[in-house]
Amino acid sequence: MYLFILKRILQSIPVLLGVSLLTFIMVRSAPGGPFDQDRNVPPEVIKHLNEHYHLNDPLWKQYLDYLWSLLHGDFGPSFKFQSHTVNDLIAAGFPPTMELAFYATLFALIFGLIAGITASLKPNSLQDYVPMSTAMIGICMPSFVLGPLLLLIFGIWLQWLPVAGWGQIDGDKILPSVTLGAAYAAYIARISRGGMLEILSQDYIRTARAKGLSTARIVFVHALRGGITPVISFLGPAIAGLLAGSFVVETIFQIPGLGRFYVQAAFNRDYTMIMGCTIFFAFLIVIFNLLADVLLVLLNPKLRQEVSGGR
Amino acid sequence: MNELNINIEKGTSLTQDAFIRLRKNKMAMIGLCILIFFIAIALLTPLIAPYTYEGQNLELGATSPSQQHWLGTDVLGRDQLTRIMYGSRVSLMVGFIATAVALLIGVLWGATAGFLGGRVDAIMMRIVDALYALPFTIFIILLTVIFGSSMLLLFLAIGAVEWLTMARIVRGQVLTIKRQEFVEAAITMGLSPWQIITRHLIPNVLGPIIVYTTLTIPSVILLESFLSFLGLGIQPPQSSWGSLISGGTETMEEYPWLLVFPGLALSLTLFSLNFLGDGLRDALDPRASKD
Repeated sequence: MYLFILKRILQSIPVLLGVSLLTFIMVRSAPGGPFDQDRNVPPEVIKHLNEHYHLNDPLWKQYLDYLWSLLHGDFGPSFKFQSHTVNDLIAAGFPPTMELAFYATLFALIFGLIAGITASLKPNSLQDYVPMSTAMIGICMPSFVLGPLLLLIFGIWLQWLPVAGWGQIDGDKILPSVTLGAAYAAYIARISRGGMLEILSQDYIRTARAKGLSTARIVFVHALRGGITPVISFLGPAIAGLLAGSFVVETIFQIPGLGRFYVQAAFNRDYTMIMGCTIFFAFLIVIFNLLADVLLVLLNPKLRQEVSGGR
Repeated sequence: MNELNINIEKGTSLTQDAFIRLRKNKMAMIGLCILIFFIAIALLTPLIAPYTYEGQNLELGATSPSQQHWLGTDVLGRDQLTRIMYGSRVSLMVGFIATAVALLIGVLWGATAGFLGGRVDAIMMRIVDALYALPFTIFIILLTVIFGSSMLLLFLAIGAVEWLTMARIVRGQVLTIKRQEFVEAAITMGLSPWQIITRHLIPNVLGPIIVYTTLTIPSVILLESFLSFLGLGIQPPQSSWGSLISGGTETMEEYPWLLVFPGLALSLTLFSLNFLGDGLRDALDPRASKD
């Protein structure tokens, strides 16, 4: 088991190196230097700035220097807000984004699993069609349509919930979390329904029924463990989607998170910030994929045997 | 019972069989109809659009839906219906072209890896695995920032992202059919790997390819609208559904119809494509269906 985890960690190192190299090359091949759009800057100042940021060194040396400082956890200064480092901005933006992603996942898991399990207990009945049709709407309505609509209905017309902000007014975390989590709740509902249907048709479930166990016991003790494994393998990659979704949701609800900073950095052409965020996001995604894989192995005895059998 | 007998007498090919199954699926047929409707509108827009997409009427300003402007006008007095119609051209074109790019790369990559097998397969699929781990939405944003947001770049970038799953699906299918006798026969006859892949393997995995293509189009359309919503995709005065929704969000308090109609157009399109894809999957590959 430890060997498996170690192997997976070692496998993610080339991925992270690849991401950093690709990002570095892309950012550096951009037309124009980072200081070009500041008007009325004398050439001497630009020269000085270029020297200060080592932009005249050969590219491979710049990359290695950048990598070296990354290894020390230093993402460098922000080109746009020169009094801040990228580290400051990431440190400020990360907690709201992570909190948003957490609440969204929680919402998605609770509603998705309830809907999926309910539907799987009576397939092709009303109990199946209603949650599954709702799930289809959740999948088809993108967050940037759902978010503003929820905002309009609950924030502006009914005035039940605040329209913007994060952690300032009571209840201002509800709408963003629901907006971000809705599509994932829908996917989880569909996946868990499929997984549960497969498990519920197995012989050992029939045995459990024959023993006279209650439906609740069969579902929660016997079926759920196998039925939700597809959901867990979906969760790892879903985190990547959640982070991308946070760009939109944070923009709509004006949450000072990493996604909004990233979009702003994209508009400002703040290259170090873009580079730092990209690598940071990649790092997060790699970690969550790793966690999902480990969890999957822990939950599935067959896989567990395979993993330790390879030792 | 009677119906069954007739079927046996006539004999139905697998394709006909699939088509019959698809026609029985109401949601898929509704999806198909909506889709054809949107495609027709997109194709005919230059002929039937009531106004021009950039034509402003500042005196008029934003008006709610009326007889002259069925879906109302925006703040600059531009006709909303016309702008949504032009938006459908952008969204559907991105959807189809970028999916075609993804299809081409994914199918060839997956079929080659699956057919050649061994070390080549291991290396090719390891590359796919590594690419899966990359934060691609972020890379597309990065690309549009660096090289400006041209339509061509959007096609290529989105297409380059979406081929991964296609490659995996095709590889899996090829692995199962390449052991079959007709492939062995083709090998014995001395056909080149390229000929075997294009003439024998790909036609036989067409079912899953069609299904997954139908399901890729909505995710591509979604990605384009997402970028346009953030202001990184299609640039004004051109309209795309994403940019219309983004504009509608800014003024939704006063003029909610500017948000609702483009949102409805986008959601309906995604809805119909998803249902059609699900229906096709049930029809073409009964084993993979959910029930």
